[in-house]
Formats: sequence, structure tokens, C-alpha cells
Amino acid sequence: MIKNTLLATATLSILLLNGCSSKTPKVNTDGIDQHNVNDATQIVEKTVSIDENAYGKENTKNGQTTASNESNSDVLNAGSNINSSSNGFKSLYFGFGEYGISPSMGTRMTVNGDVASKNSSKIKIEGNCDEFGTDEYNYALGLKRAKAVKDNMIAQGVNSQSMVIVSFGESNPVCVNPTDGCYAQNRRVDLRLAN
Amino acid sequence: MKLLLFLLVSLYSYAVDATLKIEKDVEQRSRIAIVDTSPSQNSTFFKILLSDFKISGHFLADSKYNKGDINSNFIAPSLKSKEYIFQYHLTQQKGTKVMVRLLKASDGTEIFKKSYAIPTKNKMPFLAHKAVSDINNVLKYPDISWINRYVLFSRYTTPRQSEILLADYTFNYKKVIIKGGLNLFPKWADSTQKSFYYSAYGGLMPTLYKINIYTGKKEKIAMSEGMLVCSDVSKNGSKLLLTMAPNGQADIFEFNVANKVKKRITKFNGIDVNGKYIDDESRIVFVSNRLGYANIYKKSIGSAAVSQVVYHGRNNNAVDAFRDKIVYSSRESKKSFGSNQFNLYLTSSKGSNTRPITTTGTNQFPRFSTDGSVIQFIKHRGRGSSVGYINLISHQSILFPLSGRKIQSIDW
Repeated sequence: MIKNTLLATATLSILLLNGCSSKTPKVNTDGIDQHNVNDATQIVEKTVSIDENAYGKENTKNGQTTASNESNSDVLNAGSNINSSSNGFKSLYFGFGEYGISPSMGTRMTVNGDVASKNSSKIKIEGNCDEFGTDEYNYALGLKRAKAVKDNMIAQGVNSQSMVIVSFGESNPVCVNPTDGCYAQNRRVDLRLAN
Repeated sequence: MKLLLFLLVSLYSYAVDATLKIEKDVEQRSRIAIVDTSPSQNSTFFKILLSDFKISGHFLADSKYNKGDINSNFIAPSLKSKEYIFQYHLTQQKGTKVMVRLLKASDGTEIFKKSYAIPTKNKMPFLAHKAVSDINNVLKYPDISWINRYVLFSRYTTPRQSEILLADYTFNYKKVIIKGGLNLFPKWADSTQKSFYYSAYGGLMPTLYKINIYTGKKEKIAMSEGMLVCSDVSKNGSKLLLTMAPNGQADIFEFNVANKVKKRITKFNGIDVNGKYIDDESRIVFVSNRLGYANIYKKSIGSAAVSQVVYHGRNNNAVDAFRDKIVYSSRESKKSFGSNQFNLYLTSSKGSNTRPITTTGTNQFPRFSTDGSVIQFIKHRGRGSSVGYINLISHQSILFPLSGRKIQSIDW
């Protein structure tokens, strides 16, 4: 009697368990189409890849540069011979966040005015910054520096139409060491004859 | 006396209710466990899924790695305390295929099933984002489709050389779109991310171009001596805020794309840059040094009056806006050189409700998502950099390491 009861209970349990188990259809992961994401452009469509290697080769040589161990005060010193301009021009250097031409740069500006007067080619005045500051503000600061130099050249009698200014922001460092001297060398305006 | 007792009890009840409410808000995020049913483990994919669930603000994802069977609805006892189980089956033989299932943790009921297949392997991160975004929609949570979008950024390679790239928001996917030359300040031209503007410094004059990322078709938009940046694009894409310097003086202009007419908005004889539309796009917020240092100002496009937005910090040189919300980067240390602390602040166009949203490191390039719910930024700390995201609604934040060269500009 007990045996029969036990057997009946076991049978009933088995039947119940089978009935309760969820019959999940097997998920066919191999049947996915090669490409079936149709509602997401960034996944689906192929983007281009463009090589504009042109300008970079033209002006990667910035002219003579000297060692980058100079301190901030050395660079702004009238006697410093640091220079990254070309064609006989002299680079001008600026204090942190500043765009006025300091008196110590007077001799260099005189040389630049002299070189300009002996050339009929267009002169490119390039403003640069150190790596601090971001986005547009840094480029505008570089531009203010370039404009200050241009205005000084105009005051020396150089024709305004013979000069063009541009800002390279922090994109054109002459050195990359994390030192005050290096930062000072990057806060500059370079001049060169435009090609 | 009875009245006083009554008042005290009421106040106490209110306080208790308020506390309970705060805890309930945190708990409203759905607890979810991720189960990998793939033939081989891909830890990158798993981590991307975790990031997506976390930054959505709608899920509390268990970071424990679980293995399972895509054909099984069996829920391990240790996972029954969750609300949902997310199963995925990833294969990468020819291209990438992902099958996902969302199950109820209590009884294994299937709520959602979908398969994704693409012919490439490098776009795998986007499949993770799509799956999480779809599940979020199925559960009827607020939209998080921003996780599917491209990030557009430029970075310097060598002096006077840069490249412009696309990435997913985690930067696991990256692709160079333009290399060679000095091409900077990329800015999406439309909400569908088909084209972007960028400034080319390849010739004598900076030139603004628009390029289609699918066809490569390039269109010259404007030129300006000195400097030229597209800072913002109106919602319908018809107008741009440009920083231009036609006389060597950086000012903000509004540019009509159709007839190419530009209208000068700022006239200060110093630095005015980084214009962003606010409110109904009849006003802008921008960065200016008109008080001797970089700060944030606002102005109606149609009038001359300028008003200051931020009254703290001595160098607030980057700003972004979404309707009446403004985020800016403020320098909080005084070093002339070396790394400084920059923190991000959130305020409104009325200058009210100003609060910091970062507290450490050098945090720059703040950018709102297209729906204004998340802020993207770049954080520099020590020798490393990360791209970060702050969900303004859920207060979740996440960082992804950035390797390689310095980012010049970013858009999202």
C-alpha cells in the first residue's frame, strides 16, 4: 500500500514537472542575416576616409631653433638668440596670457621692420600659444599676438596689405617639454615670407 | 499643547516621507544582471554593456560576469534577486552577430528578443549601445538614444598636423575621417550626423568647409584671415555662429548658410569667441576677456547690450549651452604654468542655480548631449586623460581612458 502510494506520488511528480517545464524554442543564432541592423545609420553606413596631406609638408621647418632649456625670463630677454622665424625675421615672445609687445622685444621688432622693407613678398605673421587654455580662446589669444606684431610693423611703415596674420593656437609648438622655458618659447609670433 | 504635538508629528512624518522618497528614487533603477552565452568571452563587449546600463541612469547593473545558455530560461538562484536578466550571444567570424534576450529574473519569462548583425567587426561597440538602447525603450524608460551617436573630434599629430576622427561615446571605436594638414574645430552640421563643418588651416587664410561623412563631398563655406571656427549650429541647420577675424580681431558672427550673409554680433576690441545659442536662439552665450580675463557673457543677437553670466573664477574659457542650461569650465588654481585645476559648473541663462559638477582634475571641453541630459568632458589627471560623462538626471558619471595624442576639439 505504501509502496503503491509512493509510486503513484513519484509518477504524478514526474508528470507535473514535465508539464511545468517551459518549452523554450531553441534560439537559432546562426540564422541571423549578414546585415540586419536597418535602424541605426552609424552602424550601417560606411563612412569615408580622406587624406589631405598637402600643407603640412610645406611649413614643417620653422627655421632655426635653439635649445629649449631657457627659462621664461631668458626668452623675454632682449639679448636672447632664440628664434623660430624664417627669412631673416625674428620671433617675438609673450608673457602668460599676454598679447602686448614688451619693451624687451623692441630690437627684434626693428629687425623685422628692416627685413620687411627689403622684401616685396607677402609676409605671414603666425601667432602661437603654449598648451594651456583650450578651444577657441587659445586661438584668439594667438591671433591677438599676431595682430600686435602687425600693428607694430604698420607703425614702422610696412604696408598693411603686404602682411597676413594667422593663429595656430597651441598646434605648433617648437618644444614639448613640460618646463617653464618650453612654455615660454611656444608663446610667440613667428614671421616668414609666404609661399 | 495638542496642536503643538499634532504639528510636531506632522513635521516628523513629512521628514520621514522625504527620506523614504530619496531612497526610493535610487531604488527605482532596475537591477539587472548580464549573462554571457557566447562561445568565447569578449571582455570589451561586456564592459561596454556595463557602461551603457550604468550611464543610462535607469539600471543598476551587476558587474559580476555570469555565463549561461541563450536557449535557457533558467535563472540561477543567485540572480533571482534582480529584476531582469540580460543574455547575449556574441560571435565574430564574418562580421559581428549579437543575439540578445531580456528575461524576468523572477520566473525567466522572455520580455524581449532581438538579433543584430553587421558585416564588420570594428563597429561592435555600436551593437552593444543599440541593444541597451532598444531594451531601455522596451521597458519604456526615458530615451537614451544619445549612446548610439558618433562623437566627432580632432587631435594633433605632429606640429601643424592634425586628424579628425569619429568615435563611439566610449572611444572603443575610432576611425580617422580626415588626415593630413591642419584641420580643426569639427562641428556636426545636422542632428542626423551626416555632415560636419571644420576649419582648414592649410593655406594663407583659414577656410571653413562642410563635408559629408558618407560621400566625402566637400563644400567651401567661408574664409577669414586670422581665425575661423564654427562654434554652434542652429537647430534647423540654417544658421551658424562663427568666430571670425576679418580685420585680425576675433568676433562672433551669425552666418546664414543659404545666402552666405554674415551679421556681426560682438564688437569688443579684445577676444570674443565660443558663441553658443541659448533659450530660443535669439540670444547667445560666449567667452570674452572684456573685463581683463576670460569669462562668460550673454547677449541678444539683435541688441548691443552684453551681460555677465558668471561671477566667480578668474579664467572661465570654455562654455556650452542647451536651451537655458549653461555649462562652463572654470580655472580654480593660480599656477601660471603646469597643470591647473579646472572644474565644470552648471548654471542657467539667468545665472541662477550654479553648482559644480566636477571636483578634481583638469576638466575641459564641456559638451551637452543632443537632449541636454548628459554632459561630456575631457579630464586630465596626472599624466592620463579620460573622456567623461555626467548624467544630470541620475547623477551617474563614468570615465573612459583616452590614449594617444591631445584632443584639440570635440563635438557630440
